[in-house]
Amino acid sequence: MTTAVPVARHRHARTTERNSDRGARPGALWVLPATLFFGLFAGLPLVLVAVLSFTSWNGLGTPEFNGLANWSRLMSDSSVLDSLRISAILTVLSWAVQTPLALLLGVWAAGRQRNRTVLSSIFFLPLLMSTAAIAITWLTLLDPNFGLAAKFGRYLGFPDGNIIGSPRGALACVVVVVAWQFVPFHTLLYQAATRQIPQSLYDAATVDGAGRVRQFRHITLPQLRNTIVTSSVLMLVGSLTYFETVLILTAGGPGSATNILPQHMYMTAFRDYAMGYASVIALALVALGTALSLLIVRFSGFAKMRSTLEGM
Amino acid sequence: MAVRIRRAAGRANWGAGVATIVWLAFVITPLYLIVKDSLQTTDSYLEHGPLSLPRHITFSNFADVFDKGFTRYLINTAIVTVASAALTMLLAFPAAYAIVRSHSRVVAGVFRVFLIGLAIPAQATIIPVFLLITRMHLYDSLTAIVLPTVAFGLPLSVLILATALRDVPRELYEAMTLDGGGSVRLMWSLALPMSRAALTTISVYSALNAWNGFLFPLILTQSDEQRVQTLGLYNFQGQFTSNTPGLMAAVLLSAFPIFVVYLFARRWLIAGMAGVGGK
Amino acid sequence: MGEQPLSRRTFLSAAAITGLSAPLVAACGTSGPGSAKGGGKTLQAWVLVDQAQNRVQNLAVDAFNKSSKAGKVKLLPISSDGAVYADKLRVGMGSPNPPDLFFNWGSGSIRSYVQVGGLVDLSQKLAADPAWKKSFLPSVLEAGKIDGKYYGIPLRGMQPVILFYNKSLFAEQGQKPPATYDELLKLIDFFKSKRIQPFALGGLDQWPNLMWLEYLVDRTGGPSVFENIAAGKPGAWRDPALLSSLQQVRDLVQRGAFGTNYNSVNYVKDGAGLLFAKGKAAMHLMGTWEVSNQVDRHRAFAEKDLGFAPFPSVAGGKGDPNSVVGNPTNYFSISSKSAGKDAAVEFLKKEMSDTAYVDALIKTGDVPAVTGLESRLSASPTPEFSKYVYQMVQKAPSFTLSWDQALMPQFKTPLLANLQKVFTGKQTPEQFVAAMESVK
Repeated sequence: MTTAVPVARHRHARTTERNSDRGARPGALWVLPATLFFGLFAGLPLVLVAVLSFTSWNGLGTPEFNGLANWSRLMSDSSVLDSLRISAILTVLSWAVQTPLALLLGVWAAGRQRNRTVLSSIFFLPLLMSTAAIAITWLTLLDPNFGLAAKFGRYLGFPDGNIIGSPRGALACVVVVVAWQFVPFHTLLYQAATRQIPQSLYDAATVDGAGRVRQFRHITLPQLRNTIVTSSVLMLVGSLTYFETVLILTAGGPGSATNILPQHMYMTAFRDYAMGYASVIALALVALGTALSLLIVRFSGFAKMRSTLEGM
Repeated sequence: MAVRIRRAAGRANWGAGVATIVWLAFVITPLYLIVKDSLQTTDSYLEHGPLSLPRHITFSNFADVFDKGFTRYLINTAIVTVASAALTMLLAFPAAYAIVRSHSRVVAGVFRVFLIGLAIPAQATIIPVFLLITRMHLYDSLTAIVLPTVAFGLPLSVLILATALRDVPRELYEAMTLDGGGSVRLMWSLALPMSRAALTTISVYSALNAWNGFLFPLILTQSDEQRVQTLGLYNFQGQFTSNTPGLMAAVLLSAFPIFVVYLFARRWLIAGMAGVGGK
Repeated sequence: MGEQPLSRRTFLSAAAITGLSAPLVAACGTSGPGSAKGGGKTLQAWVLVDQAQNRVQNLAVDAFNKSSKAGKVKLLPISSDGAVYADKLRVGMGSPNPPDLFFNWGSGSIRSYVQVGGLVDLSQKLAADPAWKKSFLPSVLEAGKIDGKYYGIPLRGMQPVILFYNKSLFAEQGQKPPATYDELLKLIDFFKSKRIQPFALGGLDQWPNLMWLEYLVDRTGGPSVFENIAAGKPGAWRDPALLSSLQQVRDLVQRGAFGTNYNSVNYVKDGAGLLFAKGKAAMHLMGTWEVSNQVDRHRAFAEKDLGFAPFPSVAGGKGDPNSVVGNPTNYFSISSKSAGKDAAVEFLKKEMSDTAYVDALIKTGDVPAVTGLESRLSASPTPEFSKYVYQMVQKAPSFTLSWDQALMPQFKTPLLANLQKVFTGKQTPEQFVAAMESVK
């Protein structure tokens, strides 16, 4: 995203324009409140995480510096590597499940037919619920003896309803619950973007004899490229917020089958009370999120914000 | 030619039809069960199974939930929500305006900081945020929830507002300046009305975020007086135990206020959420 | 300046003022948890949320406050979740204003606080008041010691782990509760053949699994096995009794003792309790709180069919079959930073073995750790059970605290996670031992 500051300064600017310009431009003071606020409650904690990562602290007393001890522990800690692996699997799986669904649903919902509008308003309902409410509801459904899992488990390959208690099942549950919660949001994105695709493109293609599928592949998909990137970046950074879902649904279990990195960090900080070491894990989390976001944005040329309307 | 186009557009898409029905079932089943369970007695639920229809419709579950203090939780959540949305708008708007209009290099740098701030996950900072809040003597207060919630929502809000303000033509500013307006007046009388849609977006987004927030309340509050509805729900699990209807009634009540807004202002709500990723 | 519609400006200003002041008004920001509010001394007593228990605790608080001149006590139930309670407690203890009194499980749950000098040593107070000291069952009072000093006073009933069974189901099938481990195995096979799940197990919550390991290790190798582990002796995890017990656990799972979906069944939301109450599982190995839960949630079952027995003996085992595991009790401890230490001690002296308080506890089904209760236990809703537990603990040569409370906090998560993996076959006993040895 390029800077929004107006760059054009014509050498031949009229004097009046310059004068009126000078008077009417806000100074740096305008961003002070927001910057201070953000700096204090988001930026400073980030710095503190880095500082804490060089200390050992169990929540009582004061943190003590222990040099690189936490960092070397990180290098040889297999449970952190495990968490990383599980996080990666979950993120990729979620993306693979949510993106096609949201895309297809979004394109479908963009149509103006009456029944689509009615159904869409139902499809968007999960957006209203909090992560906590959603996780708690699904957890209730997953009781293997008295919940839905007891009745329907056998159709899903779990004849005894033991879905959330089995490692693969638990992971699948997290993917499903997260999809239930977030597909509506991404559907919205795709719906809004699809509605902006000029009808003329489709008309021209139909005249040329292209069928629905070809139109989708050659018009819709390319036109949605920016949205796919936005949605994917949001999904990626957002996959760290699956933490709340995991905390309530599985608490990282069974064993450590769904022990994603944020969950592992939380347990290290608030169960093991190893706050210093947990801060190292937190830093790893931040580094990962930032790196991945930057990567996607760079590779997709998003930063150059090429208009999808080029050549019209 | 025209006839062919029309017919192609109108042809029914059976594949999509089937798929949407399947998806509908998937979306609606938990929602249906939440409502159905909350109207059922625990005995009936346990006796006849999770899918059974209530023999007698009862509202006692809702009474139960309110008895357990849910009203206070809802009020607390409302306070946090209004405060967060208001504070976000107050902070983000001048900043976004400055980012779009200012020539200052400092401001440009600040914008880049906010962009990077988009990628900071809140969970990673919970330990220091907790430390900070305790040192500020704000532990176990609603203020404690509002402050980090707003802070982490600022980058996105600033971004959305800045993007919207960028579309305001320079000529309009110049015209108003010629009329004798300073920066404040420009912001107030020109930028503000022109960015109504974006303001709606961020107010909806930050309000919804605050209403459903869980992590900060979990870490930064503990007493019943300061509990918000998400934490209330979380605690109810240990209080309702096998009383699934009671728990589902609580879930329903927690989403009910938003649902009411959805009913009356669906377009506004949806536009708000779509706007987040739209541009 | 120019014309601005009044409405917009007013709206925004109003929103700003409301937005900023409302939380400040409602917040009454505290200077950290447990801060005493102005006026005379108010002592904050933090407890676990437990409706029946909190009612009784408030009785003691009210009785004390009526006549106390040194200070008033205020009960603060924090959470019903033990882990969340422990979290908030740690936050409180680490702040400049810790709670004056707080509920705990003794041993590992408070060792960290003892290490930083955060708790009041009650040894002298107890020594100076022999009547007070003698009012509690010695084994239970001893269990609240750390490094030879007393830090906790029992505040509620004793909670050994008991083998509960469904009386009518057993009668129907002509079975008796098992006295030996071999009989237990036979029972398991029997119920399996009748398509009845032998044991209910809340595997999803992980800690119910621990009870099986605790008893098997105690029966096989005696209490010293865990004492060594808790003391951090090198090689303590490698004890053969531990390895063989883990193997026995695997064997139980493979026999189908817990059914197949136990890993999705919770305990805290009554998943396992419900299974047991409905007769879908024949037995349940659980702490005595299972009785008050069943009385509360499935009264008919609790009053008619809830049977109880000790954990069977293991042939050739070094442990005494009369020993028990579980929670000796919960304790009240006093913060060393409290401004009302004397009042706190007065409260504990006056109320914890007070007749009215103890009788109220008995009425909830609790079996208080107080001496001389034999006849008074008839007032319990389950008198037979209460008397049984009382005698069981008095007879027990040792009472081992639940491992996840006895060990330091950093052991808890690995212990429970690894044990769960052994249950599900994802880890061998040797791997379990290796994993636990690597925890520092």
